[in-house]
Amino acid sequence: MATDLRISNISKIYPGCVANDNVSLQFKSGKIYALLGENGAGKSTLVKILSGVISPDNGEVFLNERNLKLSSPLDAKKNKIGMVFQHFNLFETLSVFENLSIDATEDNKSLRVRINEILKKYNFSIDLDVPVLNLSAGQKQKVEIIRCLLRSPKVLIMDEPTSVLTEQETEELFISLKKFCDEGILIIYITHKLKEVLSLCDEVAVMRKGKVVSVSQTQNEKVETLANKMVGQKLAKIKKKINISKNKDEIFKVKHLNFYSDDPFETNLVNLNFSVKKGECLGIAGISGNGQNELFQILSGEIITPDTSIIFRNKEIAKLNPKQRREYLMAFSPEDRISQAAVPELKIYENVALNNFKSSNFFEKGLVNERKIKEHSKKILSDFSVNTDNVELKSQFLSGGNLQKLILGRELITAPELLICYNPTWGLDVGAINYIHETLIKINDQEKSTILISTDTEELLKLSDRIAVIYKGKLSKIMPSEEVTPEKLGVLMGGGSID
Amino acid sequence: MSLDISFIGILIGSIMASSVPLILAASGELITERSGVLNLGVEGMMIIGAISGFALMVITDNLFIAIVGSMLSGVIISLIFGFLTQSLLTNHVATGLALTIFGIGLSAMLGKNFVGIPGKEFPILFSSLRESIPFFGPILFGHSIVLYFAFALPFLTNYFLKKTKLGLVVRAVGDSPVSASNQGINVILVRYCCILYGGAMCGLAGAYLSLIYTPQWIENMTAGRGWIALALVVFATWSPIKVLIGALIFGGITILQLHMQAIGFRIPVQFLSALPYLMTIIVLVVISRDSRKIKLNTPTSLGRIFYKEK
Repeated sequence: MATDLRISNISKIYPGCVANDNVSLQFKSGKIYALLGENGAGKSTLVKILSGVISPDNGEVFLNERNLKLSSPLDAKKNKIGMVFQHFNLFETLSVFENLSIDATEDNKSLRVRINEILKKYNFSIDLDVPVLNLSAGQKQKVEIIRCLLRSPKVLIMDEPTSVLTEQETEELFISLKKFCDEGILIIYITHKLKEVLSLCDEVAVMRKGKVVSVSQTQNEKVETLANKMVGQKLAKIKKKINISKNKDEIFKVKHLNFYSDDPFETNLVNLNFSVKKGECLGIAGISGNGQNELFQILSGEIITPDTSIIFRNKEIAKLNPKQRREYLMAFSPEDRISQAAVPELKIYENVALNNFKSSNFFEKGLVNERKIKEHSKKILSDFSVNTDNVELKSQFLSGGNLQKLILGRELITAPELLICYNPTWGLDVGAINYIHETLIKINDQEKSTILISTDTEELLKLSDRIAVIYKGKLSKIMPSEEVTPEKLGVLMGGGSID
Repeated sequence: MSLDISFIGILIGSIMASSVPLILAASGELITERSGVLNLGVEGMMIIGAISGFALMVITDNLFIAIVGSMLSGVIISLIFGFLTQSLLTNHVATGLALTIFGIGLSAMLGKNFVGIPGKEFPILFSSLRESIPFFGPILFGHSIVLYFAFALPFLTNYFLKKTKLGLVVRAVGDSPVSASNQGINVILVRYCCILYGGAMCGLAGAYLSLIYTPQWIENMTAGRGWIALALVVFATWSPIKVLIGALIFGGITILQLHMQAIGFRIPVQFLSALPYLMTIIVLVVISRDSRKIKLNTPTSLGRIFYKEK
């Protein structure tokens, strides 16, 4: 029997954020539907509503024109809606079989028979009697899928299923999903990966800021058109105009940077020498684990190395700690936003106040000037288009992109002369990446300098004026970026040599 | 020193009797912890069970009412803990500690008028067999019904956790309450039930002390046994059978070192008194050092507050 799922005027509002704004969609069995959107667009909220985990403030769900009351996950199960969450809902210490039997209504013997039938039919190979914690991510996902299949679902919802899978596992998943679809199961596939939508799905609905902005056939779409719909404006091709002029002052100069560590997980740095000019972006490329962590920590003052000379604005700063360096107008954006750049449990304005440099007036006579900090935080939120205006929000509730914007905003409070960032767009979606790149270019346009340590060659080629490659703790010669091609970078990053 | 066969039999019998409160309280707490709830109120619940059992016995002169009443009092006091931690989402550790302090204080107040009243003899089973069979008689026979129940309990608990559907649900909730909730399991209800069951067993453990083991009421008569029971659960890595072994070792060495002190061994008394604690920990650590098994038995969400998304 054909299945027809209709969502009508669903709204869900959280404090400070409209997660779903009057969402209406229609799905029919025999097709695979994509629900596409950036992080925080409201996809996950919508599927949580469909699976009964949360209840909407408004709106209704119809299955074959029957109004469903989905007030708990049990209701969704009863109505044959199956859901595979992005973060698996498995019991790690229980065996695969125990995981599957926990909500079964039949006895263990016949359940085992049915599970084995499914395993055979879809060519899954999973040992039923090992604890789930011994399985790979792909196998865990299969257990989740089997759990849904055991209830012969009409609707199967997959929430960002490939984020934890290998290439091979992704292919296997796609084959299974197509099989399910042929058998008449309605499949809703949630993702922010454009290529997957094009290769797997028949129809695509794009969500942005809690609203559905477009529904279309995938065959009429391309990566670029989908990306534009997802982000909302035409993605401008960013290309920086390169400005190397010989006669500009060197604002930052590193000499004899050596670092030696006993820790086998750290990389030794061998005699690094480089300089950065006013208004210039120096890119440092490399595969991660070649000394970037150590380099960033030395430049920011977290590690002090003897015999190194770092001259910044004509002063020797090699012995200064991060706070003192900030007072000389340096700023830092570390790789790990959650544990190094921000404290996730603190509110937004408290995180803004963490860089307590003297000129900020955030602290007077040892007391916190909350009003001033909040005002300033509000300004950062709007200037850097973070998608909330609530400075009381805990930082952990910001998506990666918004948190990075907040961190950059905070670092740029002082109008620093030099910003050092390490993988600033790591794990972000297209829209946020574009925004961060524009911001970094703007900094250079204002005659301020940046050092960009990144593992993303495309990003480096886009933003840098000069590029060097770090390999096993050694720095290649520094090249003007118009002489650099991705191929050349690839060779150097792999330890080869050019010329 | 007469180390004849019948003496050893009697010794083993008394060791068994002394480990009963530990087995009961630890088995109850084990179920509570397996559902992910850390209740440090064991000592408090035991002492409340001890006084209410004794008081009911004095008032009603009925041992059955006294035993059931002590379990009910454990349920009621653990309900306070359940309401605070599950409905009001308070911190498990702080709430449990408060429960212990509250229980000790309340029992002292309630027990004022019961100090010095002699207890009643608790009926023992198969007393004729105890006398007639050498060695095995004093071990297997002539105990109270509570002791037989206590020794069956770890096996029943093990069966419940491993073989029954409900046991699977309890383990699932302790492993990942969020997943369980998403599977449609009422996590709060399951945890409430486990907390109340733990309370009942602790109440019974207390009543065993005041009605059977040393039939009288003495202020603070649990004397830290609740804490030992808590430690047993952890060192036994949440395995009911190992709880039984641990309780027997603890009870055994406690009794043995008392005999050694009486005989006058040339070992410092302080060392002998510390011996039960030391040996129990050593033995349990040695028998549970399989790290994979520890990982599988440990309730991952232990002590973490769970609340449902709305």
